[in-house]
Amino acid sequence: MDPEFRGDQDHHDGTSDATPGGYDAKRRPGELGFALFLSLASAILFYNAYAISGFEALSAPGSVPMATTAVMLISALVVTWRTARLPRVTVETLRGDILPMTVLIFAGFLVIFGLLLKPLGFLPTAALFLIAAIRLLSGWGWPRSILTALGALAVIWIVFRVIFTVLLPSGVVPEAEFIQLFRNLLSGGGS
Amino acid sequence: MDTLLAILTVFTQPDLLLLVAIGTFAGIYIGAIPGLSVTMAVSILISFTFSWEVYPAISLMVGIYMGGVYGGSRTAILLNIPGAPSAIATALDGYPMAQRGEAGQAIGVTTVMSFFGGLIGILVLALAAPYVSVFALKFQPRDYMLLAVLGILLVGSLSSGSLVKGIFAGALGLAIGAVGRDPLTFTERLTFDLQLMEGGISFIAVMIGMFGVSEALLQLQNVNKTAIRQKITKIVPSFGVIRKYLPLSLQTSTIGVIIGALPGTGGDIAALMAYDHAKRVTKNPKVPFGKGAMEGLVAPETANNAAVGGAFIPMMTLGIPGDAVTAIMIGALFIHGLNPGPMLMIDQPDMFWFIVGALFMANIFMLIFGLTGIRIFTKIVEMPRAVIIPLILLLSIVGAYAVNNSISDVYWMLGFGVFGYFMRHYGYPLGPVILGVILSRLLDDNWRRAIISDREDLGRFFEGILTSPLSFTLFAAVILIFVSQTPLWTALKIRLFRKASQ
Amino acid sequence: MSRKLIGAVIAFGLSAAVATAQDYPAKEIQGIIQWGAGGSTDTVMRAVTPHAETVLGGTVVMQNMTGAVGAIALNHVAGSDADGYTLLMGAENPLLYKVMGLGDKDYSEFTPINILARGTPILVARNDAPFDDYAGMMDFIKANPGELRIGSTGPGGVPSVVTAMMNTVEGTLDVTAIPYDGDGPALTALQSGAIDVMPAVLGAAIESIRAGAMKPLAIFDTEASAKLPDVPTVTSFNDGYSTYLPWGPFFGVFVPKGTPDDVVAKLTVAYTTGAQNADFLALMDGRGFTMMSISGDEATEFLTTWQQNTAWLLQEAGLTKASPEEFGIARPGE
Repeated sequence: MDPEFRGDQDHHDGTSDATPGGYDAKRRPGELGFALFLSLASAILFYNAYAISGFEALSAPGSVPMATTAVMLISALVVTWRTARLPRVTVETLRGDILPMTVLIFAGFLVIFGLLLKPLGFLPTAALFLIAAIRLLSGWGWPRSILTALGALAVIWIVFRVIFTVLLPSGVVPEAEFIQLFRNLLSGGGS
Repeated sequence: MDTLLAILTVFTQPDLLLLVAIGTFAGIYIGAIPGLSVTMAVSILISFTFSWEVYPAISLMVGIYMGGVYGGSRTAILLNIPGAPSAIATALDGYPMAQRGEAGQAIGVTTVMSFFGGLIGILVLALAAPYVSVFALKFQPRDYMLLAVLGILLVGSLSSGSLVKGIFAGALGLAIGAVGRDPLTFTERLTFDLQLMEGGISFIAVMIGMFGVSEALLQLQNVNKTAIRQKITKIVPSFGVIRKYLPLSLQTSTIGVIIGALPGTGGDIAALMAYDHAKRVTKNPKVPFGKGAMEGLVAPETANNAAVGGAFIPMMTLGIPGDAVTAIMIGALFIHGLNPGPMLMIDQPDMFWFIVGALFMANIFMLIFGLTGIRIFTKIVEMPRAVIIPLILLLSIVGAYAVNNSISDVYWMLGFGVFGYFMRHYGYPLGPVILGVILSRLLDDNWRRAIISDREDLGRFFEGILTSPLSFTLFAAVILIFVSQTPLWTALKIRLFRKASQ
Repeated sequence: MSRKLIGAVIAFGLSAAVATAQDYPAKEIQGIIQWGAGGSTDTVMRAVTPHAETVLGGTVVMQNMTGAVGAIALNHVAGSDADGYTLLMGAENPLLYKVMGLGDKDYSEFTPINILARGTPILVARNDAPFDDYAGMMDFIKANPGELRIGSTGPGGVPSVVTAMMNTVEGTLDVTAIPYDGDGPALTALQSGAIDVMPAVLGAAIESIRAGAMKPLAIFDTEASAKLPDVPTVTSFNDGYSTYLPWGPFFGVFVPKGTPDDVVAKLTVAYTTGAQNADFLALMDGRGFTMMSISGDEATEFLTTWQQNTAWLLQEAGLTKASPEEFGIARPGE
């Protein structure tokens, strides 16, 4: 086995954080692009940190941000330079190993989730997401996917919304009225 | 005699005992779910236990605190998603063990070692609280800053791949921590003039995104792989194993108690520092660190539970909270008509000893519940990935939202999830990012306090470092660790070693 | 499943159609606490709300929403429906947001339900500080310019206002202000000797003073506190302060402007009654807060006067980002 290999055996994906993915002496598809992106982002952040208070005083609010973004910029440039000199891994492709279809679909799901969360409310959005995701990944039939999704959602909703009173966006579902109705029933039944 | 009676209060009243047990049990699950935090649970309990007597209320809170600090390790080991910030270091070696089917063993060691750490913390609280709090008050802004620098240097031991990528990740974390309105001057920093950014980026959102979402996205590529069967025999570690790690766990518990007792630092920093310490003192681990070294579990888990006892030290002796949870407990004591402060120990010593007793019981319940419920937990990892991955994503979203009831935290969480996904693919370690975020304010705020105190005079600043014994010790440690990480030191060592062998 | 859906639709329709004050509260009320768990605002609100709930016959779910000096919570509540189901549980800071450049909203967009209590500032010093009273501190500042380290909690915080008062009354003082993110951490720093004096709220310092862990220099009020009768008032050292005192931070419950009058009335009754609870009064007294429990026009009046006095004080001390005039905040006495 490749002695420089780190990470998971069939996908060099760094499944544990302590053993990050990638190779020591080769560059994965997209790695150079990512390093360039980091350099550019660091440069923008550095400029922004400078804009906070410039070199006004050692104790200025911008001093530490300037120092850290400077370290970011320098280390990102070093990484970019080193990465650029490495040969590319020949057996991997961006679409096959870094961004396969399922990952792209799920990234899309998450974006849609984020957009719908506020207007539609947590319960419907989460139900749609879970049903679609489980159906897609498992290949189970609709009934089983829907049941599993709704069952899991019910547990999560009870733990977070009812027990921990986390006020998730209610959107179109009148959750609060519902809980109050339930409370009234309980107290009504009790008295 | 009164002292003994006060300690025993919790043992003699079955209802209090039951409340500690319920609290500990609930705490383990609260800790295990990323996004449900002990801080949150305890502040909800304030309203919930409002009309109760003070002892039952405190019993429940103490149980949740102890259980919650321990519970974070569960998901860290099984899913590589730390349930709480103090379990970040636990994931580094715990998850590789689970991948080999040794999750049961990992949880067993974690539980016993958490119990041991917790015990040390409680002992120090009971026997030396006044001395430790006097020591904790010796820390000046300068010393906190040096402590933060010492913490930043852990980047070296948290990044097993390329060191430069680790440094980048650490600096990124520090920068993330600076975003928003600066809490000292209210200047906007790195906000791009967007109102969305003013509140800053929640540290928990970053953690859940980087560990939870990016892990789930990675697992998508292995959806059809069958889950690893977990061996759940040999859960309780043998006495020999415990004895082997005893010296290390004593050292890391000490780190935990002290960091826990310092106002402003808590179990998360303690666990990371302990992990680094273990990596430094363990010369030949059976399994290398990062691949499932037992020492990598022992160190953070003893330290974060020892920090619980530590956090109570300034709270009980001075009325100063040792961390966020003890801050809320001080509020709870107020509401229940007590006046926590330096006089509490003198006016109501019973309260102090009662808390010691309750902590002790919570620690024992943690051991019991920790060792018995493992089978159910390991079943979670054996669930089909097609169900577990969407659930992790959903829990991450709810968890990020729950921290501060803000949708922008959900967006940050998702953004950092995708970013973390790329970081993992390209060999950037995630640990240093979280380390940076945790330490950002400690470093930044205290640097500014220190240099303002010395009236912007660097000469005076260094004079202060050299003349204060505490600062000097910390400064020397910073220099030593820094030098030992640079190539210069390796070169020097080789030369010295050759000379000796000639 | 379908029955639940039908139920939901009916419940929704009902609540939309007949959401009048007779039904209020028909659902849970959200209480947004402007500051973090464990702080004084948090403690006070969590202590009074259960009593108010009993009167109201509903549930108030309290959430801490921190960030940007409380502006995040303020903007959140200001942007929510004015139906009485979202309350802001806040402190005095929003009245200074405009002049400090921290935001464009303040309590003028809200209707006060109850201003519960106000705190009294007190000047405390570390035990080994080379002076024992206010006059001694003034002499020390004059003899050692720049050497006195005074704790602060950022622009617009209680210490910054007290410092501004001192500068206005005594002439500009040459001291070094060390910033902390709250009076809790600053008082800890005081005990460890990282700062020399701290203008704090009485409640935060009272226990440490009683234990002898720090020494009180002067109370920033016109009369001595019943909790610490031996501590002299600052007006006994310099009468110039009486123009500005009594002054203090306060806590209050607010709803967005435009909330139906009968809902406001119900909430006002609930919180006013809740604030009279003996346990709550004992808690407030123990922490050294002065109970106010004012509402309606009296509360609005109080807010206006507070804002005028404080904003102009800071303006004259040169600490503001924008003049109060720009926002129509009249000079006191005009």
